[in-house]
Amino acid sequence: MKKKKVIIVTMTIILLIVISYFGFQLVNQNQDIEDAIEQELYELKHTVEDIYAIEFLDDDRVLVFYSWSFPDYSNFGVMELEKTWRGWQFVEAVSNRMEMKNAWLKGVYVKIGDRAILRGPTWASVAKIEIITGDGREYRPEIGKAERNIWYLILDDAPFEEATFILYDNDGEVLHEEVLEFDLNWPE
Amino acid sequence: MKLSLKYKVLMIVILSVFTAFSLYYFVTKLQQEQAVTEALIDYRNITREYGLDAVYKSKEYPIEVELYPTAHTEAILERWKAISERYPELDYPKAAIEAEDWLTVEESLEDTDVLKEVVDQMYEDSTIPPEGAGASFTTLFNYIKYHQYDTQYIEEVLIDLGIEPLKETD
Repeated sequence: MKKKKVIIVTMTIILLIVISYFGFQLVNQNQDIEDAIEQELYELKHTVEDIYAIEFLDDDRVLVFYSWSFPDYSNFGVMELEKTWRGWQFVEAVSNRMEMKNAWLKGVYVKIGDRAILRGPTWASVAKIEIITGDGREYRPEIGKAERNIWYLILDDAPFEEATFILYDNDGEVLHEEVLEFDLNWPE
Repeated sequence: MKLSLKYKVLMIVILSVFTAFSLYYFVTKLQQEQAVTEALIDYRNITREYGLDAVYKSKEYPIEVELYPTAHTEAILERWKAISERYPELDYPKAAIEAEDWLTVEESLEDTDVLKEVVDQMYEDSTIPPEGAGASFTTLFNYIKYHQYDTQYIEEVLIDLGIEPLKETD
């Protein structure tokens, strides 16, 4: 009789664990990334934010580029989320103040997780940017559009301290050329 | 199946202990969440007000946020310092600024009586505004924080007192 009770209790516990596991899996699979981002930004208390781009680094990691602070939206953020057994979870976020007064573009370097990221605001008339480093590397950063325009580059190789940025309009005409410097030791 | 009194008492004790621990856990968790929310709102406000950079390493208890000054922050501090050097009654929180304790820095600019006293003294010291002209404490606050000239004569008063540089004319 006692043995039977032990078996029943053990089976019940195992069943509960299996149901819980599949329950979490089901919830996580159906969790909408945009809802998760909205929730995480809400929890950060960054008021009236604009999302420029969502970049999946792999199936379980995502970078979100956004700006916040009504009405100027001059605080530019990047946030990393990771998918765990509890669903999409906050890993880290960095917010940089970048004002566009009398500037064609701004840019900062930041390391999030194991990724080096360069990013900053630029004007709406800029449709394409080319980056040429001193050692001859060339990059084409993505451009995200919302309240402002931002450019961003997720680097797989070594970051650079300065590079020439060539800005083009929709017709492929060069709008501006400028050398930007990056502090690779920020924020130390 | 009939349980003995000993087992009944034991079950009640176990249930009571479990309920007490659960309640304690949820109340503590709730208090922590409230404290975290308040802290994140403070960080948000201070980041926005002083144009700071912010690194959020943890937004759950224990919260971990690092703040760093930018060129925008330096400009605010320069305006504040320039006024404080001429009117020392307006405290310039040098120690808190050096320690990058921005929440304490913010508290130093919250005394509206001092701000009013200083702006009144500025209007009195300047030869520009006519008799009876004045400004409220927000005028000085908005100048320091946002570089705004929201009241008549304030820009001329600041230039006259040597706090703002003379405007270049074409």
